[in-house]
Amino acid sequence: MSLREAIATFLKDGDTISFSGMGGAQCVAQTYEIIRQGKKDLTLIGDSPCEAGDMLVGAGALKRMEIAWCSYAVAGLAYNFRRAIEQGIPHELELDEYSNYTIGMRFLAGALRIPFMPTKSLMGSDLPKYNENIKTIKDPYTGEKVALVPAAQPDVAIVHVSRSDKRGNAQMFGFSSNAENLVRAANCVIVTCEEIVSTDEVRRCPNLTVAPEYTVDAVVELPFACHPWNMPYAYIYDIPFHMRQLNLFKTRDGYLKWLEEWCFGVEDWDGYLRKVGWDRLEKLRKVEKQFTRVSY
Amino acid sequence: MKKNGNGNYNLQELLVAAAAREINDGEVVFVGVGVPLLGVLVAKLSHAPNLIMAMESGSIGPLPYRIILGIGDNACVENSICTTSLWRLFSDQQCGYFDVGMIGGAQVDKYGNLNSTVIFGDGDYYRPLSKLPGSGGANDIASSAGRTIITLPLEKRRFLERVDYVTSPGYIDGYDSREKAGLPRGGPASIITNKCIFRFDPETKETYLDSLHEGVSVDEVRANVSWDLKVSPNLKTTPPPTEEQLIITRLVDKTGIYTDSGLKGLSFEGYIQLLENSLDELQELFK
Repeated sequence: MSLREAIATFLKDGDTISFSGMGGAQCVAQTYEIIRQGKKDLTLIGDSPCEAGDMLVGAGALKRMEIAWCSYAVAGLAYNFRRAIEQGIPHELELDEYSNYTIGMRFLAGALRIPFMPTKSLMGSDLPKYNENIKTIKDPYTGEKVALVPAAQPDVAIVHVSRSDKRGNAQMFGFSSNAENLVRAANCVIVTCEEIVSTDEVRRCPNLTVAPEYTVDAVVELPFACHPWNMPYAYIYDIPFHMRQLNLFKTRDGYLKWLEEWCFGVEDWDGYLRKVGWDRLEKLRKVEKQFTRVSY
Repeated sequence: MKKNGNGNYNLQELLVAAAAREINDGEVVFVGVGVPLLGVLVAKLSHAPNLIMAMESGSIGPLPYRIILGIGDNACVENSICTTSLWRLFSDQQCGYFDVGMIGGAQVDKYGNLNSTVIFGDGDYYRPLSKLPGSGGANDIASSAGRTIITLPLEKRRFLERVDYVTSPGYIDGYDSREKAGLPRGGPASIITNKCIFRFDPETKETYLDSLHEGVSVDEVRANVSWDLKVSPNLKTTPPPTEEQLIITRLVDKTGIYTDSGLKGLSFEGYIQLLENSLDELQELFK
């Protein structure tokens, strides 16, 4: 299945959506495709989304975010997210704030099909004051204080992994964000992967599997899906590219120009990658191979 | 280890050394990026070889032969002892396995509460002057790490009687209010700034001035703090970086991404070259 088909088939306006990725391994290609298809009124649940938070906000695709953080770390700030909260541009945004861990707890609760999860985070801070979905209660067993966060069960989860077979047995090299819980919490799961491999290859190291096939609805081969971000064991962070991009995002006009050129100006992610240039992408891959080797 | 007494270092390098001194050998340290991360690397490569770095992406114990550009950078995975899921790594912290966490923010108050969520200005939470990125993992680190080390530039608009919004609880209202809030352990040990280092009174939990960087006066610090600042009777001068610390700092951040001019002007070719060169140099350093 192509990415376009997968998004068109499984993601509807008004859905709740979540993405894998933390720092690196961000779902960038997937974000561009959602924007290209003009999806609307989505609710994003995520720990620290970068493109999947900021760019979706700027494109007017989100009505609500339940997140811990939105920015681009070393390369720059989430200017679209800031414009939405500070000035209502392009429109008002509902926001419930959590921490990274407690968003992870929400996916874990969702994956266990239990209603909430207790945690020792959040207490003594102002997060519960401005987010009524965080409750502080007395532990019924010990009487000690504990904070509760509600289960998250998104309509759609998009999870990007190192490799998968065609059936959706998805494997990850390196950290897995909350992928194994996301795929079990969501009602519908799109796995995208750097590489499609045989089921025999999956069977060689089954401990790498974050999503067994029965949790997955669609599989898409999508190399360099994280560009300009890094993907562990695959390619390094293209930070000079990211700096140039985020410099444009400082203004609304700059952001819209970027979308015009890099999202709407190309047909699909393959078009984006051709525009970045395969020479450049191959260098990103080559350097990573010098530092890390997959031994499976 | 020789002392470097000639003043031939910049402010960022002094801060790296100050952060490094906060870490003991054998500790598990929850790190972000920037100067505190360099401090942790310098500690690992000098006095704390058994230190274990934990990064919130889910990477534990890396030996990176290149500059780390983010908490989910491939460098965090490189030669690590464990890569896992985000929720599992944070659960290890909630269990109490992590001795130290390094955090920052836009505002701090006299009890070490940090704000990285929102600056109200004339507005409020819902329509603020500035929306900041948010907690990320900072609230969790502040809640459950054994102790936290805060880094922040010293400015009056940042050092407040009370922050606009408590993202990461320090000692809340002082005394035992942290325990009363239900937090399992921890609290800030120090605030490292560009002018000085603050620590916390063991009873009141209020911040006091503990150490001045060379050339900084008490008055200068007072002028940049919004409350009536207490000063240690044994006020110290922050020691300069040792020669060893300087050598390591300059090797792990060769082009000064965190200690000099940042990423400005970094070309793609220059970036690829930087990484390729660091492979051999840093591999040698970690041996």
